[in-house]
Amino acid sequence: MNDMNLENLFNPQSIAMIGASANPRKWGFIILLNILKGNFKGNVYPVNPHEKSILGYRCYASVMDVPEALDLAIITTPAKAVPSLVDQCGRKGIRFVVVISSDFSETGPEGARLEQEVIDCARRNGIRLVGPNSMGLFSARSSLHAQMPPIMPLTGGVSMFSQSGNLGFQMLGWGAEEGVGFSKFVSSGNEGDLSSVDYLRYFAADTDTRVILGYLEGVDCGVDLIHTARAISKHKPIIILKGGRTASGGRAAASHTGAMAGASKIWKAALRQAGMIEVSTSQGLLDCAKAFENYPLPKGSRVGIITRGGGWGVITVDGCEENRLDVPPLPQNVIRKLDKILPKYWSRGNPVDLVATIANDPYLECLEILAAWDGIDAILALGAKRAIDSYPYSKEVHQPQPLVDAIALATEMFQHYAQKPDEVLMNLGQMVKRYRKPIIAVSLASELSHRSFLEAFQVVSYPTPERAVRVLGHMVDYTRFLNASSE
Amino acid sequence: MKIIENALARGAGNLTEYESKRFLAAYGIPITREAVARSEEEVALKASEIGYPVAVKGSDEAFHHKTDLDLIELNLKDEKSVRRAYHQLVSRSKAKLKEVLVQEMIAEPRELMVGLYRDPQFGPCVMFGLGGIFTEILQDTVFRVTPLTRKDAMEMLTEIKGKKILESFRGKPRIDRDKVADILLALSQIGKEQPAIREIDINPIKLVNGKPVAVDALVVFSARAL
Repeated sequence: MNDMNLENLFNPQSIAMIGASANPRKWGFIILLNILKGNFKGNVYPVNPHEKSILGYRCYASVMDVPEALDLAIITTPAKAVPSLVDQCGRKGIRFVVVISSDFSETGPEGARLEQEVIDCARRNGIRLVGPNSMGLFSARSSLHAQMPPIMPLTGGVSMFSQSGNLGFQMLGWGAEEGVGFSKFVSSGNEGDLSSVDYLRYFAADTDTRVILGYLEGVDCGVDLIHTARAISKHKPIIILKGGRTASGGRAAASHTGAMAGASKIWKAALRQAGMIEVSTSQGLLDCAKAFENYPLPKGSRVGIITRGGGWGVITVDGCEENRLDVPPLPQNVIRKLDKILPKYWSRGNPVDLVATIANDPYLECLEILAAWDGIDAILALGAKRAIDSYPYSKEVHQPQPLVDAIALATEMFQHYAQKPDEVLMNLGQMVKRYRKPIIAVSLASELSHRSFLEAFQVVSYPTPERAVRVLGHMVDYTRFLNASSE
Repeated sequence: MKIIENALARGAGNLTEYESKRFLAAYGIPITREAVARSEEEVALKASEIGYPVAVKGSDEAFHHKTDLDLIELNLKDEKSVRRAYHQLVSRSKAKLKEVLVQEMIAEPRELMVGLYRDPQFGPCVMFGLGGIFTEILQDTVFRVTPLTRKDAMEMLTEIKGKKILESFRGKPRIDRDKVADILLALSQIGKEQPAIREIDINPIKLVNGKPVAVDALVVFSARAL
């Protein structure tokens, strides 16, 4: 159990695909195809005694016949065959095995016995094993897509372990749409051998990983998780979605304390004590990953809000309150600076309401005044990007001529703006770097355009203030943890 | 500890209220002034020693939900009512009532609760929340995995929804947070030192001049310890 370096698991030179199949409906075919189409940088050897070749690759009857030393084997055969195949892997000198096959402990006591047999085989042979019942893994560095769903993730600094393969791979899919890039992913399956805590340790040491995501339902040893995570959280953020939050304690309790110690409350405490960031939704995982990877942490909980419309400002303030953030009033010197830009009747408060100004310059000037003010640690910039990219009425109107002309002009103006790089977002991205404060943008734009804001301007943005404010709340919580643990 | 060893030796699943509080007091947790009595005469004597008003409760390890069993008589102001209460408890008790607990009454509307729970995954956890009848209705509680730091304990107090209960309230002084934190830290210590104990309720905790006092308590053993 000493070899905790999972480097050859995530970045192997050579892989045996045991249970490779020529049938396009079988995982043994689909995973092989995903590895090949994903341009894996090493060698792949299909293993199946009943086939001569699959997808143009020579097929071997057993791993023993493969002419090269192998780092990793992926097994997709029926469960009953797995123990002897793991033994063969051991004889071949393979150190890592991913068991995709299901029908193990997840199905009942008989499956659990078979799983134990597989684990015993692995331990005898010095093999570390992923799964069983895993959906596979992904690694950007070696371009390894040893995975069931055909998803092409973006490359980035986020690594994830997931006790649900489906949920985890969905994060990789959404991440590609939203601009969240992954370094590594593993579907941990039943965790018969390697556990979430092992992956956590590896991601902590991995220099490609800057943010760790995890989907957890349970662990064998909670104390081990807390101790490991608490040390890691001090230098890398760990963002967790905990499944099974509403399940009540496993057995009847004799006391009120016991009766109220549902899984949810103890997990919440444990995650928090270890500095882990607990999100309550799957979307929250990605939202946090995006901000934690791309933005500096706020130094405190004080938030400045800028908005083009009153109502959005109001619900954002509510959200700040609910997410442990402060919205301080503006001091006189900041008000005097803003007075020079805004109309006489502006509210002179935080949120700074631009009172339906659509021009960019006043927005940027106000934003810079807030960014430079040392009384706040972060900014929520509502309406940083206009929601409407094109003029929607042109096609329906044919007369009178002055109206048609006006529409033509409006359409042209929108086209002109659409072609120019977005001034607000460009400057906003630069202000984040200049002032070292997170300025989170909110815009009613599609998810894909939020990805482009990140890629073009390094701006972290979300379609709703509710999502932005939750992310900021988690960032401030993490800052609090870091401050407390360095005391 | 002797109290624990004796209870385990007689095969008890939990300590009686009296024993529970003696045990907690050994860990520095403040408890109500109280005494066990086994007869009407003894009840009257103990009540006068403690000073009126008093409460009289059925005290036996089998009776740990005394309110549900209707085995509590509160706010007894004189000897006559104490004697009557004793007879009422004896007649209402289905099992034979061997002894009662005579206890000082604390007039304070605010009730807190603290507890210890040994979680199968995370080990001993400490709980803080609103107590008394609101315990089950509001379930306004917060947990921490032990060992607890003083900072953890102080944070717990401000994490419940009803945290305003800690402030001064209708002429009553604000609650001494350090003293409540002391109790949480004592429970953390118990979790570490007493493996035979699976769960502890201290509910309610009432306040005397803003300082917490355990009014009722229950210590439950793990099945393994028996």
